[in-house]
Amino acid sequence: MILEALEREGVEIIFGYPGGANLPIYQRLPAHPKLKHVLVRHEQGAAHMADGYARATGRPGVAMATSGPGALNMVTGLATAFMDSVPMIAITGQVASRTVGTDAFQESDVIGCTQSVTKHNYLVTKADDIPRIMAEAFHIATTGRPGPVLIDVCKDAQQAEGEWEYTSCSALPGYRPAFEPDAESAKKAIELLAQAKRPVILAGHGVILSHAEEELLEVAERSGTPVGTTLLGVGAFPTRHPLALHMTGFMGTGWNIKAVQNADVLMMVGMRVDDRVTAKLSEWAPKAEHFIHVDIDASEMGKNVRPHLEVVGDAKRSLTAMLPHVQPPPADRGNWLNQIDLWREEHPLKYSKSNGHLQPQDVLIDMYRRCRDEAIVVADVGQNQIWAALWWNYTKPGLFINSGGSGTMGFALPAAIGAKMGRPDKDVWCVAGEGGFVMTAQELSVAVEHQVGVKIVLLNNFSLGMVRQFQDDFYGGVRSQVDLTQMPDFLKLAEAYGLPARRVHRVEEIGPAFDEAQKAPGPFLIDFRIDPEANVYPIVPLGKGLNDFWELPNGA
Amino acid sequence: MVHDRLRVLAVTVENHPGVMSRVSGLIRRRGFNIQTITVGPSTVEGRSRMTLTVDAGYAEVDQVAKQLDRLIEVISVEDITEGPTVKRELVIVRLETVPPVVEQFGARKVGDRIVELTADTEVIEDFIEFLKPYGIQELARTGPVAMRRSA
Ligand SMILES: Cc1ncc(C[n+]2csc(CCOP(=O)(O)OP(=O)(O)O)c2C)c(N)n1
Repeated sequence: MILEALEREGVEIIFGYPGGANLPIYQRLPAHPKLKHVLVRHEQGAAHMADGYARATGRPGVAMATSGPGALNMVTGLATAFMDSVPMIAITGQVASRTVGTDAFQESDVIGCTQSVTKHNYLVTKADDIPRIMAEAFHIATTGRPGPVLIDVCKDAQQAEGEWEYTSCSALPGYRPAFEPDAESAKKAIELLAQAKRPVILAGHGVILSHAEEELLEVAERSGTPVGTTLLGVGAFPTRHPLALHMTGFMGTGWNIKAVQNADVLMMVGMRVDDRVTAKLSEWAPKAEHFIHVDIDASEMGKNVRPHLEVVGDAKRSLTAMLPHVQPPPADRGNWLNQIDLWREEHPLKYSKSNGHLQPQDVLIDMYRRCRDEAIVVADVGQNQIWAALWWNYTKPGLFINSGGSGTMGFALPAAIGAKMGRPDKDVWCVAGEGGFVMTAQELSVAVEHQVGVKIVLLNNFSLGMVRQFQDDFYGGVRSQVDLTQMPDFLKLAEAYGLPARRVHRVEEIGPAFDEAQKAPGPFLIDFRIDPEANVYPIVPLGKGLNDFWELPNGA
Repeated sequence: MVHDRLRVLAVTVENHPGVMSRVSGLIRRRGFNIQTITVGPSTVEGRSRMTLTVDAGYAEVDQVAKQLDRLIEVISVEDITEGPTVKRELVIVRLETVPPVVEQFGARKVGDRIVELTADTEVIEDFIEFLKPYGIQELARTGPVAMRRSA
């Protein structure tokens, strides 16, 4: 029944792992040839692959695991998807319904454990409930603010046979996502923007999730308002547009920070305004007289920043409702935009090229030159993530995938595999540090087995780079437990897994290595030996306000 | 001890197993300051009504309400603090000796040295103070239930 329901919902791929408590499902799997099953090598990989698949395609990803350890191995992946509002269905086996609560073999309280990392979860004890619950789960996961939904199915409920009917779900009494914004508030928002002297729009993942990029561009261009994005919003607004402020927050660009800190009206669209965006909250956007917050989730209003104007609605519909009221910018808008251009010149993104080491930016710039808008970049967590966000020119949404809210190391490889399986037409690059990479490196087997053509760009600095930088910059320079000299030889590792690989030490070697990677039909790994001292700049010291941002030290 | 800041939320939920755990889990996770929760069946089959009293200012209570509303099994959340409400609580107390004048409070004797009182939380608190000298052996309170005075 479960597999039929998945077919009915249009699912093509399941990322899963079998075990005692989901054997009945796996017994029936061969009878459903339309459902491709990808046997992962660890259940966390299944969750991240489903997540990457969903982010790349916009369709819900499906992950499956057995009870107890299987389900618990997925928890990190669920939390990652939940924090970033990714639509996902997780199906876990549970012990037979009569033994639930007896500490049966491989029993664990999966509902309890996943309650705070799922949008919703269900324990299924009776087969009769399966069609209704599956339909509700898909409805909940994919509508409103999307998120993962877990269905924990008792083994006896999986076994039942019989007649059943499947009707997809379109409404639930306790679930009413606010799609349509209040028209008055939308109009008011535009009026506030029009009256502003120094307006700024910040765009988050919500803009990408609701495909509102065109509406955003139109509002920005017609009203002459500069736009920055969050880390997850990168790509929601073309990075090199004259109005682009690029990424905001505590590792955002200098000109973005300057604009936010001087704005008099700030409109936040589809974002949570978390602490990575604001740094020290009491010093964030001190000159803003009006905060306008547009989000589909009413609970985001005032959670971190109390807005003067709330627009509760889907980003696309909210911006659409604003469009008819947009007015051309006032005559003095040029001053504000000129000021921003000045800041852009004063605080450009820069990196040190002088010390003879290979710089991560050299790698990313070369990569971008070859791929332009055609590639999806899936980054891991750490310095590699921020470099990949800043040193690539994202002109379209959905091309940059990373674990923003949860910051889950080990995300990139499985998520890139999922993304490539969902979008075989796109080049998919996995950018990772060596620390995060080895956390889920076992999934290389999946890439090789299915000849998934992900190209792995290992930015290898022999340390937990981001933590090393924090220790150097903010914790008295005490390097503690960040050394990763003892790592496998990644060329041999690749060989052991069965994929080709290259090592690059110098700038001249970048091009040929990429040529080879792009020619390879399947997965390919490049071990870039980058400057072990390379840092991420700008950065705001922990606990400080945005105004205190640091840049690359002069002469570095 | 009565708090001016106490705000009252009337919450309708699906009567599913685990709903209490979802609600209390959310309250714990978000660090909300909930004073009391009561729950009982509602007039609609399969739905329960909860009354929450929250010791917090408007902004925090607004967050409590919105976060609760995000739960799929929560049907509705209403802040009924503003405007006149009827708020009642039941207490039963077993005493060493029953004072003669409990009726003055509107209380009744029920069972062996047990008195019960249904009243406002403030009156209940006064009543318990009054009973203390008579030796409280056991005490059980329901926590308040509430609704708007006029519909
Ligand atoms: C699972 C997990 N554990 C720990 C952390 C904390 N953390 C954040 S960045 C980082 C260092 C990452 O090192 P590496 O993967 O080598 O990437 P780099 O920063 O060097 O690019 C660590 C340990 C995390 N984000 N996720």
